[in-house]
Amino acid sequence: MLAIYKKELRSYFNSMIGYVFMAFFLLIIGVYFFVQNLFYGYANFEYTLSSITFIFVILAPLLTMRLMAEENKQKTDQLLLTSPVTATSIVVGKLLAVFSLYGFIMLITCFYPLILSLYGTVTFATAYSSILAFTLMGGAYLAIGLFISSLTDSQIVAAVISFVVFLLTILMDGIAGVLPTDNKSAVIIFTAFLLILCIILYRMMHNLTIAAGIGVIGEAALVAAYLLKPTFFDGSVANVLGWLSIVKRFDNFYYGIFDVAGLVYYVSIAGLFTFLTVQVIKKKRWS
Amino acid sequence: MLESLPCGGLKETDKETGEMEKYKPFTYGKRRGDPWGDEKKEVKILIEVKNLTKRYGNHTAVDNLSFTVEKGQVLGFLGPNGAGKTTTMNIITGYISATEGSVTVNGVDVFDAPEEVKKMIGYLPEFPPLYPEMTVREYLNFAADLKKVPKSERKEMVERVMDSTMITPMADRLIKHLSKGYKQRVGLAQAILGYPELIILDEPTVGLDPKQIIEIRELIKELSKNHTVILSSHIMQEVSAVCDLVMIIDKGRLILQDKPENLSAQLGSTGGLKLSVKGSRDAVLAALKNISRVTQIEEREAVSDGVVELTLHCPEKDDIREEVFYAMCDARIPVLEMQSVRMSLEDIFLKVTGQSDMEASQSDIEASLPQEDGATDAMTTQAVGESTANTEDQEVDSDAGDL
Repeated sequence: MLAIYKKELRSYFNSMIGYVFMAFFLLIIGVYFFVQNLFYGYANFEYTLSSITFIFVILAPLLTMRLMAEENKQKTDQLLLTSPVTATSIVVGKLLAVFSLYGFIMLITCFYPLILSLYGTVTFATAYSSILAFTLMGGAYLAIGLFISSLTDSQIVAAVISFVVFLLTILMDGIAGVLPTDNKSAVIIFTAFLLILCIILYRMMHNLTIAAGIGVIGEAALVAAYLLKPTFFDGSVANVLGWLSIVKRFDNFYYGIFDVAGLVYYVSIAGLFTFLTVQVIKKKRWS
Repeated sequence: MLESLPCGGLKETDKETGEMEKYKPFTYGKRRGDPWGDEKKEVKILIEVKNLTKRYGNHTAVDNLSFTVEKGQVLGFLGPNGAGKTTTMNIITGYISATEGSVTVNGVDVFDAPEEVKKMIGYLPEFPPLYPEMTVREYLNFAADLKKVPKSERKEMVERVMDSTMITPMADRLIKHLSKGYKQRVGLAQAILGYPELIILDEPTVGLDPKQIIEIRELIKELSKNHTVILSSHIMQEVSAVCDLVMIIDKGRLILQDKPENLSAQLGSTGGLKLSVKGSRDAVLAALKNISRVTQIEEREAVSDGVVELTLHCPEKDDIREEVFYAMCDARIPVLEMQSVRMSLEDIFLKVTGQSDMEASQSDIEASLPQEDGATDAMTTQAVGESTANTEDQEVDSDAGDL
């Protein structure tokens, strides 16, 4: 694991990507910090962080696109997978490497509240808890990006898909607001979700029976729930979309609330996608 | 590490004979005695492949393949492109899984304990798995790290491996700037790193020039003193130069398994007679007409004026040299050169894989071979889809084959 961690970290600095990422990230944070905190004189660093959650849509794919896709393309995955290392340690090593790079930036941002305190009173507790949440949110995005990268052998495809997915997680809240809320529409929307899920499953497993089976069973359950207990769908669309909205969890930190559930959510997302990436790599052996 | 493995018990002499008895009949047919069981007292099975099958949908890449490799042997997989060599190697190294069957290395099953097995294997895949952005030294250090070479030994081992693969002058160059031959050797260096018990090389000499090919073969021979090596190739010379045992694979099936020198003996030693005589063409042909056992006369291009170059074909196992000599004597035609043609591995290979579309000279040799040879009964004679006779490779062979 350490070997892969070191190799990944070094490769970011052998190419331009590591430097570009850090420079761009710090530039954006710096600009927002200057405008919101220094220029307008708000003493809350969490306001700055809350306004730059979009940063992940642009920058996270830049870091994660090559993680597995490049190995797949150069056939170097063959070296990794025929060496005495487990798939888990490969994935975790890679995630930790990319997270370290990102974590280093977050360490730098830890100085901003201190700078701010030179000019007035700063509530450090809310500032640093928001930095912690922001860091973990980044971890969740990076894990999703790693997972997407493992599905393809083209960096560009990985980057584009990551970009779209990350964009959706940001827009999800807004989308939930405009969708119809009646129960019938809810069933239709969930059917659409189910269809997408089945297509992804089929792409991954190449097994029509399983994908179609899950689709049929899921649809049957939806219809049954609709006929038997329609109240089940009350507000369900907004709820479900809310689960998918990663940035929404940051709102509590914006209001200065230390939201443990939000932190657990971020860690769970990271864990889930790390697990899925390991499965993708293990599955390759059985294809 | 190895002492803890189930196979460790095999070292004991009391068990040895029993184990040998068990495996002997499988490895070699009853046609001849065991060729080396007497010489090597310590026969240990390192790899055992049983009924290996790999299917991709309807396509069967490896079809019920079984074989064993003993410690210290060099096994050569020979087969046309798409024969299943790479798939078999990928399964042994644990990169992909088999549909059916089992592979054990040193008594450890690849499917049950992949990490354990991977520790014992160094693998050079078909495309060397290199990171173009790294220097050679960085890459090898990384590979050593992956293979869990202790840090204290790492530096020295990397230098030693670079030395033996002759890439030390390139140590600090980026891999993306290296030529194909050097890349291949870096891949080979990676496979040797950690000096694993089993080294698997998928077409190790592809893309190398003749001098490098000789060097790599020397290296493989050197390695075989302390390691077990499996290499694949579609180049016969390579296999006959370094291997103790050749397995010819076609369409995922084992077609023939033997020592390289026995292969040609098994399939008939004479392919004909090469003759170079001084005299007019008509006189020579008239003289040869009297020899009834000559089935076919083939003219080759004369090197100098007044010299006739011929290849004579005769039935298998017939020795026509004396007759030819006296016939030439009677006609008062001086014989400059006479040489019996041994069947090369190429010919054997083409014969057992049933290749039909090949160069005229080769088909002539093939046509002259009797079809009822006892050894051929186990072979299939389907036509091979892809052409194996890569002219470039063959040229390289003839340069490098005289090891």
